[in-house]
Amino acid sequence: MSYLDLSIKEIHQALLDKKTTPLELTKEALLRAKADECNCFEYICEKEALEFASSLNKIEENNLLFGIPYLLKDNFSTKDIPTCASSNILKGYVPIFDATVVKRLKEKKAILIGKTTMDELAMGGSGTSGHKGITFNPYDKSKTRLCGGSSCGSAAATALSITPFALGSDTGDSVRKPASFNALVGFKPTWGRISRFGLFPFAPSLDHVAFFTRNIEDAAIVLDSLSGRDKLDSTCFDMDATKAFDNINKFSLKGCRILLLNEIMDSFKDEEIKNKINNFIDLLKSKGAIINYVNFSKDLLDAVFPTYFVISCAEATSNNANLDGIKFGDRKQGNTYQEVMINTRTAGFSELIKRRFILGSFALMSENREELFIRAQKARRLIVNRLNEIMKDNDILLTPAAPSIAPKIKESSDKLSDTYLIVDNHLALENFSGMPSITIPFTFKNDMPFGINLSSKILQEEMLISISKEFEDLIGLKGVSVLNYSNYKKEDK
Amino acid sequence: MKEVNIEVLKDASLRLMFKMSDEEYNTLLQEFDTLFKQMAMISKIKDVDSVMPMTFPFNINTTYLREDEVYDVISKEDALKNAKEVKDGQIKLPKVVKQ
Repeated sequence: MSYLDLSIKEIHQALLDKKTTPLELTKEALLRAKADECNCFEYICEKEALEFASSLNKIEENNLLFGIPYLLKDNFSTKDIPTCASSNILKGYVPIFDATVVKRLKEKKAILIGKTTMDELAMGGSGTSGHKGITFNPYDKSKTRLCGGSSCGSAAATALSITPFALGSDTGDSVRKPASFNALVGFKPTWGRISRFGLFPFAPSLDHVAFFTRNIEDAAIVLDSLSGRDKLDSTCFDMDATKAFDNINKFSLKGCRILLLNEIMDSFKDEEIKNKINNFIDLLKSKGAIINYVNFSKDLLDAVFPTYFVISCAEATSNNANLDGIKFGDRKQGNTYQEVMINTRTAGFSELIKRRFILGSFALMSENREELFIRAQKARRLIVNRLNEIMKDNDILLTPAAPSIAPKIKESSDKLSDTYLIVDNHLALENFSGMPSITIPFTFKNDMPFGINLSSKILQEEMLISISKEFEDLIGLKGVSVLNYSNYKKEDK
Repeated sequence: MKEVNIEVLKDASLRLMFKMSDEEYNTLLQEFDTLFKQMAMISKIKDVDSVMPMTFPFNINTTYLREDEVYDVISKEDALKNAKEVKDGQIKLPKVVKQ
């Protein structure tokens, strides 16, 4: 057992009791990072981490993140540390400033251990499209199942207990879906709750800073440290940081109104897991929760994925126009500046990225804009209106976070089926609406994890975290990781 | 709406300043086919064109104005640090006006 396997609060206590030091924690995290066989890392910050950890001598009693190692998805700007968003076009790029979240964690004296792999430029949900190839699911020793993405490296590394927490970004479900496939807590707070200054933009109307932990309490601690106003991000709420950790026991399941959507439950075809969910719902009822089922509208749910796809591709094509290799990035030669740009972008982007840019650009062409882009934005409004309407008399929206356990890497799905359109893509609802949303570990099937998702009305993170903790206590998978899963399995028997 | 064919896609990719192979264009054509089927589902939504497009999840009312203060100034060295070719404090590119 290593202190890295414990919760942030327990590690903090061990630091206070002088049982370990920030330097020891850092050395251990670096060892684990270097032993990674899942392709989690773009860059391991060995020198920087050791230097910083050596300077941390006096433990700060009231700072739970003091000396805690962590990881960052490679789309956060880190001063003097290479950052390429897993894309060849940014090979060699070294940012000259820190993202606000990086700055805040530095002020808390958390220790950055490495930058993690991702789907290229955060586009994609499989963890297979980064320039370093597939990031593997650490629970699957045969390396045949997806890790999920786009925040794949952060997910796999947190599941491997390399650090207690890791940051990612979530535009459609890029933290909450991999959390399901890796038995993690994956949390995306309200849009605007955490500053996005220094996060590479993909689709800013949907982008969120999000993160992985192995228990709810740690998620509360990380949220409290990252949230709060930032004058460098005009879309960030002018509000104080949350106090989710102090209020973690404030709300109870008794009288909590939990909503399930009939269309999602009907389209969920994994009977073994579905039975477990239904049994769990009975348990929630016995604890005093009020369970409501509602029809959302199948037409609206069918439209979630195309709405997401058109809006995100259109925003992405415009946001990434600055990647031309001239001011920064991996410039290729050419006889004119146009040739320089074309050669750079042709070599720098993978096929998937190019296809998405063309789809987005097509949707924005004057002849198509009304029928594709504007119509998708209108559908978004109707979907969000319906969501707000059904949430009015409810506290929590409860859904399965994915159709089942992680699919096989080459498994293809019917892109017009209910399973794909509704169960596989509904987590974008919370990106459309900006609602806070959290995935938590729920069960294992064939030794592979599966998570459920809880969402609440905007700015109700403290309630959402408090209720999620009650769920966590009932489920009994708090702190599970690849390293200790066998112990949980024994207990389950 | 504009018809989708290889020529339209080639034109779009050049406007986006990159090239793709014929095989990649064919994959893209298939992707468009699926997307149009999915987009038909959006058109099925009752009164979809009766609402205003949504550009952000909700409105954030900013009730303060930022002071016009100098905050973080990037030095010339930092600004040029990531450019591949720099000459006399400027980014160097192929000549636009040829002799």
